[in-house]
Amino acid sequence: MTLALQLAVAGLATGSVYALIALGIVLIYKCSGVVNFAQGAYAMLGAYASYVLLSAGLPAVLAVLASMGVMAGVGALTERLVLRPMLKAPVVAVMMVTLGLLICARAACLAVFGPDQIAFPPVFPEGAVSAGGIFVTYNYIAAGILAAVLSLGFLLFYARTPMGLMQRCAADNSRAALAIGIHVSNQVSAAWAMSAALAGLAGTLLATLNGLSLGLADIGMVAFPVVVVGGLSSLEGALVAGLVLGVLQSFTDGLLTPALEDVLRANTGIYSVGALQQVLPYALLVLMLLLRPQGLFGRRGAERI
Amino acid sequence: MSTRRLLLALAVAAVLIALSLLLGRFGAYLVRAVAIAGIGALSLNLLIGYCGQISFAQGALLGVGAYVAGNLGNAGADGVLALLGAGAATAAIGALIGLPALRLRGLYFAIATLAAQAILEYLFKMLEPFTGGVSGLVIRQPAFFGLPVASDQVSAAVSVLVLLITWLALTRLTRTNLGRAFLVVRESEVVAKGMGLDVARTKAWAFAISGFVAGVAGGLIGFAARLASPEAFTLDLSADYIAMIIVGGLGSWAGPLVGAAFVVLLPEAIQRVGEAFDIANLLSALRELAFGLLIILFLIFEPRGLSSLLPRLRWTQRRQTPGAATGFGERAGAAVATKGGERP
Amino acid sequence: MKKIMLGALLAAGVAAWAAPSRAADLTVCAWGTITGPDALVNGMAYGTRDYFEFLNQTRGGIAGNKVNTLLLDGRYKLDEELKIYRRCVDQENAVYVNGWSTGSVNALKDQISGDGVPFMTDSFASQVLDPEKLPFIFMAGPTYEQQMIIALRDLKQKGGKRVVLMHADNEYGRGPVNVVRQSGIVQKLGLELVDTVEFRYDAQDLTGQLLRVKSRNPDMVYIQSSAPQALVTLRDAAKVGLPARLFIGNMYDISPTIPEQLGPAAEGFRAIQIYAQFGEEIPAMKDIEAFRAKNKIAKEDIYYMKGWLQGTAMSAAISNAIQKSGGKVPSDLKAFRKLVRDEMEALRDVNTGGITPPLNYADHQGSTQARIAEIKDGKYVVAGEWIDAR
Repeated sequence: MTLALQLAVAGLATGSVYALIALGIVLIYKCSGVVNFAQGAYAMLGAYASYVLLSAGLPAVLAVLASMGVMAGVGALTERLVLRPMLKAPVVAVMMVTLGLLICARAACLAVFGPDQIAFPPVFPEGAVSAGGIFVTYNYIAAGILAAVLSLGFLLFYARTPMGLMQRCAADNSRAALAIGIHVSNQVSAAWAMSAALAGLAGTLLATLNGLSLGLADIGMVAFPVVVVGGLSSLEGALVAGLVLGVLQSFTDGLLTPALEDVLRANTGIYSVGALQQVLPYALLVLMLLLRPQGLFGRRGAERI
Repeated sequence: MSTRRLLLALAVAAVLIALSLLLGRFGAYLVRAVAIAGIGALSLNLLIGYCGQISFAQGALLGVGAYVAGNLGNAGADGVLALLGAGAATAAIGALIGLPALRLRGLYFAIATLAAQAILEYLFKMLEPFTGGVSGLVIRQPAFFGLPVASDQVSAAVSVLVLLITWLALTRLTRTNLGRAFLVVRESEVVAKGMGLDVARTKAWAFAISGFVAGVAGGLIGFAARLASPEAFTLDLSADYIAMIIVGGLGSWAGPLVGAAFVVLLPEAIQRVGEAFDIANLLSALRELAFGLLIILFLIFEPRGLSSLLPRLRWTQRRQTPGAATGFGERAGAAVATKGGERP
Repeated sequence: MKKIMLGALLAAGVAAWAAPSRAADLTVCAWGTITGPDALVNGMAYGTRDYFEFLNQTRGGIAGNKVNTLLLDGRYKLDEELKIYRRCVDQENAVYVNGWSTGSVNALKDQISGDGVPFMTDSFASQVLDPEKLPFIFMAGPTYEQQMIIALRDLKQKGGKRVVLMHADNEYGRGPVNVVRQSGIVQKLGLELVDTVEFRYDAQDLTGQLLRVKSRNPDMVYIQSSAPQALVTLRDAAKVGLPARLFIGNMYDISPTIPEQLGPAAEGFRAIQIYAQFGEEIPAMKDIEAFRAKNKIAKEDIYYMKGWLQGTAMSAAISNAIQKSGGKVPSDLKAFRKLVRDEMEALRDVNTGGITPPLNYADHQGSTQARIAEIKDGKYVVAGEWIDAR
């Protein structure tokens, strides 16, 4: 039982980071109809930006905020420089261009920071709480709570503020939005900026948990199953699916894999089930696509033709 | 026109084989790599460029081909038989991956192929009796039609010949009713239905044929590397192949070949330039950057790819003979290209 | 614009085909992961190259023959590594090749025999160590299995019992663990193998796996993986409250990065140490210092020492081969390679300047001895005498 609880806590912490990344993907998709492969790259860039700022001696809060600002700029620039010229290009071309961005961002970080993992300066206080047999570092608690709060805050912003309303209008029907005087292309830029800033924060949080390396960009690939499971155009779905997937992965690592392996080792010649948690999101994704293609929270017909 | 194209294709194949004979084993290695990549890119071009179905699972499909061909070859099958078997098996798996495409469209389907890639990669590692697990499957080079493939030059020639056959078959395919049906499905499924086309069946054919060709290419990769290991057939490989058809030119038939040559040779070229100026290790980090930048720049500024530059270039040189402009590569995919290309 | 692009392409193509023409008497070719997932240990690629450079600079090469050393970036990608091998053997006419990954040497093993080129592998995989069937492949120390056995013996000596093996889901990880598990050596030593845990080699988070390890209550956890994975493992072990002293890694887990990044969470972590540390007071270090005075050393760590040692062994064989041919590099490359191989196998009691005990290459391993190092106050400290794995 303590093991399960401990696993759940670990899963929620990573899951909330997945959720932040997935939120960004959904946001961009809603506003511009683009599935952004570079979301993982934004997370990585955000983490490196925080690292540079922290190393320069900025206080943690300022550094993280500043790196989010930088990432917002990067996001807006991507939209203006790369995506806008491709407004009429076919879907495959747009997807590929974001993949190109991912490759470029990784290569740029490789050239500047080198291939090795870098120690991330402490953002949260060192130490751990231990209650009821559960052992959780402050790092974990802080990252998890911060990610969860921000995700919720973002949902509220989207649902309650005038800007959120304009965003939703632009996303739902860009012509109607234009007709009532919303500057749609500015809204699209804003969506990219927000999405990149969210991803940048997620990257920074992930770096506090996992250290700083180029591998941070891989989280984008985990986020795709998350958004599909949640429903490609549902922000709430991304949040819930992110948390669920984080917990499921953690349980797979800590409970399911050992249990399966115990059974297999006792009864068959098979000794290992491999890195099961790595395929779990994709297996879920396939299942979801077969049973309910619109995702947990998606509405039918949400997919674009 | 048709004989000209055939002659041109034969000439290209002859030049490639001559190159591999002239340039020693390393040259043969590169020619073979380009030829095999060309086959794989042709396969993906059929799916993405012609039928409009985005797939990120090409790397894994090549892997399926390599494992099947390797197992057949190791069991004593002739090389031709092994390649055909690999093609058939991969066609089946390709069609299986394509199944969701019958229900899902565009982006959803593209993400489903990501899942297929991840699951196949996992299976490569787990199905030890068939794949050798993480150690990979050690593959012996089988004989072709009973003739041993004694040297790298011969194996390069075999790959070039398979490329030639594939190219001829696929260009011929696009002039059949099925080939035209692919184009209609790509442009609009609604229109295709309106015309009385069976969209699901058309898509299934695209996946099966593309899978078959991918299987053959994968088999050749296995014979060339003599090892099929999970680390060789990752998502990165899928991205490489997508880059090939984009850089070469989406939906044209010369494009995949030009793109394959470009993507295979670019890292080597950057490496050699780096060595000439003694900055190889610095450039090492930059070569991925160049790769990514090229993809972005091509997509934005030249969506029709490198292959579209060839005829235009010739046109500017020989203004007097405008007929020459259409010599290389039929631009059946012009529609895809102009979608992105004709911007104000 | 388009013409420029095409022109650049053509120029690049010509450059790629241009045959290499370098003024040297013999060529040695090495590749490593200069950029890629396991670049953390690439000091050994630089070390080998630098040793030959050192010979060129201070001793006029090998027996008076200048050495051209190529160091290429395999990026830990199989096709890239296979391409580099082909280039080294057929285009650069290398007399000795030093290759990187376990996967690549596994794929190349038949070709290496066919080409008849001496091959020093950076891997310690036992399946490529076979003087009878694979006469051209050499390595520079005890196999991964032997390293694991050293750790197991140490545990037995200290009175522990419960063993967990952790490994990555690649050949380098799964292969040796399976060999050790199936050999039954754990049981023979009177120990108990309570679990083996596999993880993705590029995993960024191993919390779930370590909770599983914790639930098995082990006395020792052996990590069959390299420093980047050991880093993740130890960091997450601290997260779940497992002390680092339970963990022991193979020779690729000695990296200053580990104590630097983890601080107190790495204290007590141990690893198999085959070579002397960079900066230790040994004769070889004097040569390295002399080299450093004039050149930049890319990575000052124990893997650099490994590379330096590989260079020592390789050049000793080449030197003997040249002397057997009357002091000149033979013009027949195939015969020269064969001769170098024979001389390599004939090497006995090669002085390594203290990097390892003297080398003996009859079994193609050089040395089979290792020590155990432990992190104390942020530094790896050798915790005992040389132990022979055989």
